[in-house]
Amino acid sequence: MTATQPDVPTGLRARVLEASQRARAAGEPVPAVPAISPAEAFSRAADALYRTLSALDSAAWARPAIRDLDVQGLVGHLTGVEDDVQRCLAGDPAVKLADHVESTQAAATRQAGHDPAQTHGEWRDAVSRTVSLVAARGDDDDPEACVALHGMYLPLRALLIVRAFELWIHENDIRLASGLPLAVPEPAVLRLMTRLAARLLPVAVAGAGLPGPRRLHLVLTGPGGGTWDLDMTDPADAGEVSIVADAVGFCRLVADRTTPAELDPYITGDHGQAAGVLTAVATLALD
Amino acid sequence: MGGTDALLAARLAAGDDHALAEVFDRFGPAVYGAAACVVGAGGGAQDVVQDVFVELWSHPDRYDPDAGSLRGYLMLLARHRAVDAMRSELRRIARQERHYRLTIDESPPSPGEQVLSAHMASEVRTAIQRLPAAQRQVIELAYFEGMTCREVASAVGIPEGTVKSRLRLALAKLETVLDRQLLEAP
Repeated sequence: MTATQPDVPTGLRARVLEASQRARAAGEPVPAVPAISPAEAFSRAADALYRTLSALDSAAWARPAIRDLDVQGLVGHLTGVEDDVQRCLAGDPAVKLADHVESTQAAATRQAGHDPAQTHGEWRDAVSRTVSLVAARGDDDDPEACVALHGMYLPLRALLIVRAFELWIHENDIRLASGLPLAVPEPAVLRLMTRLAARLLPVAVAGAGLPGPRRLHLVLTGPGGGTWDLDMTDPADAGEVSIVADAVGFCRLVADRTTPAELDPYITGDHGQAAGVLTAVATLALD
Repeated sequence: MGGTDALLAARLAAGDDHALAEVFDRFGPAVYGAAACVVGAGGGAQDVVQDVFVELWSHPDRYDPDAGSLRGYLMLLARHRAVDAMRSELRRIARQERHYRLTIDESPPSPGEQVLSAHMASEVRTAIQRLPAAQRQVIELAYFEGMTCREVASAVGIPEGTVKSRLRLALAKLETVLDRQLLEAP
């Protein structure tokens, strides 16, 4: 059969590709994931962490998690972040440029000696206050209005996605410390995360000062993934690079929880420029 | 990772238009060849190829890499779509034949062969030759001689109802035989 294959008629390739894109726009994943608001994504991420924390025994709360924090201290850190978010929403300038770790360290260390249930409850109450404050701003709030927190200046909806991202990453820090399998966000939540990560990527690459491509074709596979063609700020003589990676793995790279080698992406184009992109990705991490 | 079928499927699901172009470049000639085997090279085969790739792009989740190769899936799709195209063509010709028989001043001697490509006509002719003699006779008189059921009944010397039932049986058998032949085409 192969030896007798006829040549494809001239123009058929272009005709097929055009017809395909009329049927389904490039970039959109199939099956489509339901669209949810960033506030909903934050709530769902908080619910997932709440369920994980509820299943921990007392010994698990004392296990080392990240940096110098045990699980209980990490949950205290998250309570501190919620406190800063609430100050941010109230317009407190002190949190604009505060360091993400330093600013929350007191909330983390004060958990020592507390009953884990108390730490768990304080965090949940803090999340509820954040959710209420966001809801109180209502749908009439300008979606493009930016807020400033921990050196970030971004729309509130983007901040809520960043927060959902942080809750998921720390949930997995806790699961890892507790010997539990890693959690994967719901596709609707992950889709918001991958979209935000893709949007921030050119900024991250430019900020990292590493040689990158002029144009990046980013394909994130699996539920919650998608495809993006991103114009970078690198010199015009740089080429186009294509990176294909698992969506969850890529988000873990963004959070600096895995390495480009472990991600094992499929790359076409200049591998050096692709490496620059992948190294820059992890600079988006807050920790 | 690499250009494996599973990765290609995942990329298509993620909306990667580059992956679609790669799949076309890799398998387009084979898909076109499979379609041309059934409907003949030309516009019909191109339509089949377009249908196959639009289907893959619109519903990439219908391909299961664990169930077989992407090439095999596309070839199967191509043959199904080509057979569907043949069936549609047969029905269209049958409708046209009926129309001609009802039109007093127009009775082209062999309208089927005017419309079908040489390959399609040959496939249909072969399938007709394999019908039981009684069914073949009514098909030839009705579809190639342009006779009405009443005229066929009179010519053969059987009741008109028997002509109609033999035609129905023959057409059903033709569809089945043609399906099997076309699906088994290399």
